[in-house]
Amino acid sequence: MQSNFYIFRYASVMVIVVAAILSSAAMLLKPYQEKNKAIDKMKGILTSANIEATSENAIQLYKDNITEEIVINNKGEIVESKKKGEVEPGKSLAFSLDLKKELYKKGRGEDFNIPLMVAETNGKKIFIIPLLGTGLWGPVWGNIAVKDNFSTVVGVTFGHKAETPGLGAEIDTKIFQAQFVGKELFRDGKFQSISVVKGGIGTMPNDMQIHGVDAISGGTITSVGVSDMLANCLENYVPFINKRN
Amino acid sequence: MQELFNIFVKSIFIDNMVFAYFLGMCSYLAVSKTVKTSMGLGIAVVFVLGITVPVDYLLNQYVLAPGALSWLGPQFAEFDLSFLSFIMFIAVIASMVQLVEMVVEKFAPALYSSLGIFLPLIAVNCAILGGSLFMQEREYVTIWHATSFGLGSGVGFLLAIVGIAAIREKIRYSNVPPALRGLGITFIITGLMGIAFMSFLGIKL
Amino acid sequence: MSKDKREKEPLFSAKNRKLLINPLHKDNPITTQVLGICSALAVTAKIKPAFVMTLSVIAVLGFANVIVSILRHGIPPRIRIIVQLVVIASLVILVDQVLKAFVFDVSKQLSVFVGLIITNCIIMGRLEAFALGNKPWPSFLDGIGNAFGYGWILIVVAFFREFLGSGTIWDYPVMEQLGVYNFGYQNNGFMILPPMALIIVGIIIWVQRSKDKSLVEEN
Repeated sequence: MQSNFYIFRYASVMVIVVAAILSSAAMLLKPYQEKNKAIDKMKGILTSANIEATSENAIQLYKDNITEEIVINNKGEIVESKKKGEVEPGKSLAFSLDLKKELYKKGRGEDFNIPLMVAETNGKKIFIIPLLGTGLWGPVWGNIAVKDNFSTVVGVTFGHKAETPGLGAEIDTKIFQAQFVGKELFRDGKFQSISVVKGGIGTMPNDMQIHGVDAISGGTITSVGVSDMLANCLENYVPFINKRN
Repeated sequence: MQELFNIFVKSIFIDNMVFAYFLGMCSYLAVSKTVKTSMGLGIAVVFVLGITVPVDYLLNQYVLAPGALSWLGPQFAEFDLSFLSFIMFIAVIASMVQLVEMVVEKFAPALYSSLGIFLPLIAVNCAILGGSLFMQEREYVTIWHATSFGLGSGVGFLLAIVGIAAIREKIRYSNVPPALRGLGITFIITGLMGIAFMSFLGIKL
Repeated sequence: MSKDKREKEPLFSAKNRKLLINPLHKDNPITTQVLGICSALAVTAKIKPAFVMTLSVIAVLGFANVIVSILRHGIPPRIRIIVQLVVIASLVILVDQVLKAFVFDVSKQLSVFVGLIITNCIIMGRLEAFALGNKPWPSFLDGIGNAFGYGWILIVVAFFREFLGSGTIWDYPVMEQLGVYNFGYQNNGFMILPPMALIIVGIIIWVQRSKDKSLVEEN
């Protein structure tokens, strides 16, 4: 049995060595990781608007296709708007807005801001809304792109940190995401989020099926998380959309 | 107060660590031969979860979460140490487990020898780390919410392991096919219990 | 490594070979030692994640075993659990950070497994039971052997769950190609749920022990 002194010394040396290795790795690698994260975000935004992007050409495509980056507040007023070319891709306030913080403010009833990206294809505007929510094991996120009527869905992307492989993790597959295309966010002028329905949309009334998609079997909690994320993030844009119309 | 109670009941039945999330399976299967030892392990888990979840809660609130260090001064507000949360949680858990190990060794040597290798394994019992990670993810408002969640999860595990141990004690008198005896039949019974517990999933509290 | 194998054949003495082979069958981590069940349930809904998990466990278990075995004389017994966990966790986090910086797409696929690997009791169990008392080379073999033993069960379970639950194998729609849906066949959604993984493992144990009576338990 070693003395207590040895144990303390061993533990402190271990803590210092490990902390040094991990922190320096985190510091050194941070710029690369941040860049990768930004590229991944751009890829998500572009893909939801049906612009195929790879890690290599994401920055260029983002520069070419995203015509406007807007920050809106919860009353529907525009806080900041940057047109194409005014800022470097990935540097605008709208792009770097921390959605988690803003949604936290929303939860506490404070004023908050939300981002909105605009892309233009064939002369038609597409609005892209970033999403953030909670799945079973960790955060889920995504982007939803809508036509300029702010209702018809053009495309979505989802990502997740740690959902169960093969079950909840299926939200990031094309098969799941393709279901969203053509769904509507508004019903008779009123906001009606898209829900992820357990047992399939066949269980919904016929006229409501345009607001629902099939859940993933075995991934119920993640599916509910996606539903909640859509409702919680999209409703923030209603004041802005109403003002616009 | 009612909210705390809700979280407690919810984490025992609806969000049961073993049957709803299938965490903590290894020790659950290996230490459920008799009700007595499983009771010992169950109580150890309740104890460890009841301590680590609130401790990790404080750690998360005041050290790890983005902006958590702002109490040190405004210049620290930008720090985000969340990449360390895995290793910090694990360290807290491991030290708590080591503590429990020492206490059990001192005061209940019989229990210590029957728990054998599985006491240190509580440290990697995914139910324990899972508890801390769920706590971080669900962003409980106060430390009391986090504590009642930790205790509830522990009691849920206790309930599950004592339940299976009781079944295993009884099944000893049944004529199970020889190759299925012991571990095999335990796996299958656990599967069936899990399916039964799924019926709690729809309840909203 | 392959060079070593040829030049120093005694490295694979009968004893060492046993370390590598036993965990595949008699000493299987899942069916005999009851280690690593949680992750076996979490990643076996499809074959692909099961395969990725197997590879990661092989790498992590091999290295962690060697590192702990090298450190084994210095580790104070009272804080050994913390030391072992710190070794595993920092190894995994470090790899995760490097992947995130340089091969982001791979890291996105793997990030899910990081937590599962750290808390995988196979790793901790083998460190505690073997690496703490043995030299680096046997520890390495023990690690690899156990990881393979764990892996094959994982892949077998995943095969049945994916085939019967989703009708695919490695995401290839086998059932659709066979055309069985036309006869009214439906995927058994039940297979995807975690309890079914338990029941499949139970059946594997049943088969294994029917063949090898020495593994049968008393009661």
